[in-house]
Amino acid sequence: MGNRGRMAALVRKEMTQFLRARFLLSLILYLYTAEVIMCVYSLSFDVRHLPTVLADFDRSAASRLLAERFQSSGYFRIEHLADREEQIASLLNQGEVLAAITIPPEFSKQLARGERASLQLLLDGSNANTASVAQGYAQRIVQNFALDRVGASRADLMPPVEHRPRIWYNSELKYSYFMVLSMIAQAGMLVGVITAAAGIVREKESGTIEQMMVTPIAPAEFIMAKMLPPLVVGLLALIPGLVVAAVVGVPLRGNVAWFFVFSAVFLASSMAIGILVATISETLQQALLIAFFALFPIMFLSGTVVPVESMPLGMQYLAELSPLRHYMEAILGIFLKGVGFEILWPRLAAVAVIGAALLGWSLLRFRRHMG
Amino acid sequence: MKSLIGAVVWKEVREIRRDPITIWVAIALPLVMLYLFGSALSLDVKEVGLAVYDLDQSPQSRDLIDAFPHSGYFRRAHDIQREQEIRELLDRGRARLVLVIPHDFSEQLAGGRTAMVQTLVDGSFSATAMVVAGYAAAIIHNFALEQAQRALAAAGHDDAHLMPIEVNSRIWFNAPLKSVNYIVPGLFGVILMAFPPLLTTLAVVREKEAGSVQQIFVSPVRPWQFITGKMLPYAAIAFLEMVMILAAGLWWFNVPFRGSLLLFLGATTLYVFCTVGLGLLVSATTRSQLVAMLLALILTLMPSFLFSGFLFPIFTMPDMMQMYTYLFPARYFVEISRGIAMKGVGLEVLWPQFLLLIVYTAAVFSLTTLLFRKKVA
Repeated sequence: MGNRGRMAALVRKEMTQFLRARFLLSLILYLYTAEVIMCVYSLSFDVRHLPTVLADFDRSAASRLLAERFQSSGYFRIEHLADREEQIASLLNQGEVLAAITIPPEFSKQLARGERASLQLLLDGSNANTASVAQGYAQRIVQNFALDRVGASRADLMPPVEHRPRIWYNSELKYSYFMVLSMIAQAGMLVGVITAAAGIVREKESGTIEQMMVTPIAPAEFIMAKMLPPLVVGLLALIPGLVVAAVVGVPLRGNVAWFFVFSAVFLASSMAIGILVATISETLQQALLIAFFALFPIMFLSGTVVPVESMPLGMQYLAELSPLRHYMEAILGIFLKGVGFEILWPRLAAVAVIGAALLGWSLLRFRRHMG
Repeated sequence: MKSLIGAVVWKEVREIRRDPITIWVAIALPLVMLYLFGSALSLDVKEVGLAVYDLDQSPQSRDLIDAFPHSGYFRRAHDIQREQEIRELLDRGRARLVLVIPHDFSEQLAGGRTAMVQTLVDGSFSATAMVVAGYAAAIIHNFALEQAQRALAAAGHDDAHLMPIEVNSRIWFNAPLKSVNYIVPGLFGVILMAFPPLLTTLAVVREKEAGSVQQIFVSPVRPWQFITGKMLPYAAIAFLEMVMILAAGLWWFNVPFRGSLLLFLGATTLYVFCTVGLGLLVSATTRSQLVAMLLALILTLMPSFLFSGFLFPIFTMPDMMQMYTYLFPARYFVEISRGIAMKGVGLEVLWPQFLLLIVYTAAVFSLTTLLFRKKVA
């Protein structure tokens, strides 16, 4: 049998084995569809409908109007009304509300007299991000309310600087765009590492790898044949992922072909991690434990949950070693920014180099092990 | 009867001792994870790359620009000379905020007219983009107020009208607004959900794959005794993990702990049994280690990370998904942990979470025993 025929036979065997593992395949599909959809529709750092308690000690038309402004902004949702300070404390302690607005009794009188009125805002700061965003929203609501009351009559009192903010790439600041892309990338990582590691260790454990090694099949061919089926399935699984992305409304500003090219290189790189894990471990249990604990930090610390720039410097350098970090940056670029190869090629090169290095290392270990 | 449980425990302890990788994973990795996640998972906005396109080049424009790095949130990364640079800097991610000051900025201010300022924010990561946009708006607003106050003072007017309503905001529970104070108490819940269930599941499924579990079931050991015997060593390991990450978390990250340590340890013990129980439950449903691990991942780690309120707030989720979060015990524990550590509250507030955790643990164990019994019969 020629080189090519041998390879084809090997790939056919791997494909059959891979497709036979129905449960594994359905888990992969689950990851790309149900899990992605659930995460996209529920996970975000957006601040809207923040559960709020209102203590209106003024009970005037002005205070009611202001409370109405908070409610209709969509950022706050007044779920409780309090008439004593202790109620506020207890609601905050229970976590029933995350914000408390207190309007003091002399509020409308001061406003009418043209004195500076004040308003108290109490925020549960546990989640620092939510609290600081909510604080900004509250300031803006009150400021607009005040400006509307002073009215256009006193144009000289309008602030002398007008600020025109613009948000690029994601003008509505929708976290769901980021989330879809991040989930697709994480699922690829998970599938790549685990299928490759399990596929090889299982042969090690059952001893069939020894048989393989006495045949003319070279270690490189063996590894290639192991990588092909999960690579094909992983690429096909991107299609439901893309459908979900389209349904959510994620803009695809770049070239979809580049997306598949990047994805193929990335999947191969993640499988290289899996293969390295397989060469280190003797049993499936060990391989799964090692894979799991390699995946845990890689999956969440590669800019998929929080941006790499906000991590400590040392960890930013470590993150450069993760193929997922470069892939994430690349697909954000392709989808949201619409940038192409001319900007993203260093990312592709990084993913390829990391993958090749890991594969080379695994092959060396294989040769030594089998030689 | 007791000695039978003891025998299962002893057998498991010996197996664990023989496997250095498992011990290493069980003891060292939780600490590594605590360190990595505690320091990396922060949404705090500081030192954001700022690029400035100052067309005015006046003392006023420089005042406004200087206010940005002074706030501590921004780092002046780049001065733009040509307009085309703006897109390039944002595309390459070199700057997250671009401040554009037009030619006539100081002229307009001097003439008492409204001057214009533009900011461009990289919105690809919306969570921090919101905060960045908010800080930028606040800095510009303060600058505007100062300018107006100066103008009014020069004209001899009172400035109460400039800010007719003042917002006194106070932050409770985490006054310095540091993410780490929030992340670390939550991380306890996630780490305890990541390690013990997986170790337990793999320990049982390994015996199933090897077939040695049949030998145990034909021995006088009853299913519940087998489960208890398997569980105790892993519960002990998990408890040890907990004490370690609690000590390390408070010491490394200097996280305040306001409530009762005793109550916290009580909650932990309960939670540890719950997580180990979940591991056993997964092991009762499958014979393959690979499937067991993926199931454990999907049933324990992913939900505890994503749907427990650990990182993503629960209040923004759709109502259906808010109900869904109750399916996973991590949510109860994260609430207890934060309640005790950050708010310093006790059972008088947290009793519902404790009750849910107890009921949940009992349900997991009943279901597991039932499944194992059926397998044997």
